[in-house]
Amino acid sequence: MGTAVLDGLIAIAAEEAHVDPATITADARLRDRLGLDSLALIDLVVAAEDRFGVRIPDDDAERFVTLGDVAAFIQAALPRQ
Amino acid sequence: MRIAIIGGGIGGLTLALAMRERGIAASVYEQAGQLSEIGVAVALSANATRELRRLGVLPGVMAASTEPSELIYRDGRDGRRIAAHPVHNGMSYQNRFGAPYCGIHRADLQRVLGDALAGDGLHLGHRLMTIEEGGAGMQLRFTNGLAIEADLVVGADGVKSAVRGFVTRGAGTEYSGTSAFRGIVPAAKLPSLPDPLAIQFWMGPGAHLLHYAIGPEGGDVNYFAVVEGPIAWPGAGSTAPIEPNEAVRAFAGWHPAVTEMIAATEQTLRWGLFVVPHLLHWHRGGAVLLGDSAHAMVPHHGQGANTTIEDAITLAELLRDAAPASIGALLARYQALRRARTRKIQRSSWITNGLLHLPDGPALPTRDAAMAAFPERFAWIHGHDALHAAAA
Repeated sequence: MGTAVLDGLIAIAAEEAHVDPATITADARLRDRLGLDSLALIDLVVAAEDRFGVRIPDDDAERFVTLGDVAAFIQAALPRQ
Repeated sequence: MRIAIIGGGIGGLTLALAMRERGIAASVYEQAGQLSEIGVAVALSANATRELRRLGVLPGVMAASTEPSELIYRDGRDGRRIAAHPVHNGMSYQNRFGAPYCGIHRADLQRVLGDALAGDGLHLGHRLMTIEEGGAGMQLRFTNGLAIEADLVVGADGVKSAVRGFVTRGAGTEYSGTSAFRGIVPAAKLPSLPDPLAIQFWMGPGAHLLHYAIGPEGGDVNYFAVVEGPIAWPGAGSTAPIEPNEAVRAFAGWHPAVTEMIAATEQTLRWGLFVVPHLLHWHRGGAVLLGDSAHAMVPHHGQGANTTIEDAITLAELLRDAAPASIGALLARYQALRRARTRKIQRSSWITNGLLHLPDGPALPTRDAAMAAFPERFAWIHGHDALHAAAA
């Protein structure tokens, strides 16, 4: 998995969840570990869309469990280098 | 700066008024030959009425509208009150959110906005045909032959937006899989209706009915009865003909207040509920989307018109002192202010559809608790101050 995507997501998640980015890893659970409710999760997804230029539909966003799931979705949707 | 607003509905007129207040000239192009808002009624919440007050049009709006006494959720069949929250009673809503909640006929709202604009820059009978980027700005052609150039084009042209085709290169609308019957009934014809001045949701498996009073005396009840299906939407229009009594049959066995209301109006059509699945980009070149063209949603939070008014105030405030060279940055800022919020309301409205239509079963207490917590759960919608957010 590209670390650039994950690093970008960690920065976004740290801001949304108001936690230290150094404490967040790919297996951080969005709801339990980061404490994001469904609305905060949309903020995270919208920020990720803006940062990576990838559209993330609601149905996919609902299935994300960890930050790594978000990163994998974005990685798969990004145009190949 | 040359600004063209496409659409003379609630969004386009509010934007034109908000821009005029800031000394920004704009032309509004409306396809209809007169201002004649379709649809029936709209409920305005504090996030919009605080802005209408700032624009000086709230007294005219309030004179033509009714403030609901309470917000009540009921079982659609036995009529039991599941949850109730005071609105006008005790000035509860205004005290909490700083501005009123009211029901108004769409045509009355459009008239108040149109009267305030007094024809400034309003061009009726102009249907947009093509929009292109080129020359020294955006090139617009209308079906009546007019061709103009603008630095900024605002697509306030509704769910079937022509401007959206340019901005998104084709992303369109999606049928929600739900449809509605609607009408306006004199309250005097509804003897079984408890609390006729309340805004009420009657909930049942696979359907719900929402109603609220409109008009200066609350003498008319506007209702909106939503059902699941049809699975696929027939035809290209937003309405489809129905068989006689089809609407009445859909609510057979429901509380008499519900069946009486639906039977009181002759139903010949159902309205398909269409949404614009969230867009990644709201602007391209000098074109930008506003209101339903950007984020049409199912109406279960009653936020379509209200978020449109928020959009208009946001855009007008950002345009203060703007120059053509800064349009790209300005539109990016507008999108950043509006996209996450409207997506959250869109999503929440859709989740509410499931709650309102919940089948009988063990999840009902969870639904009831959600309805009881409504003011706390949705204060973020009603308490929002779009002008404050844009000026920050």
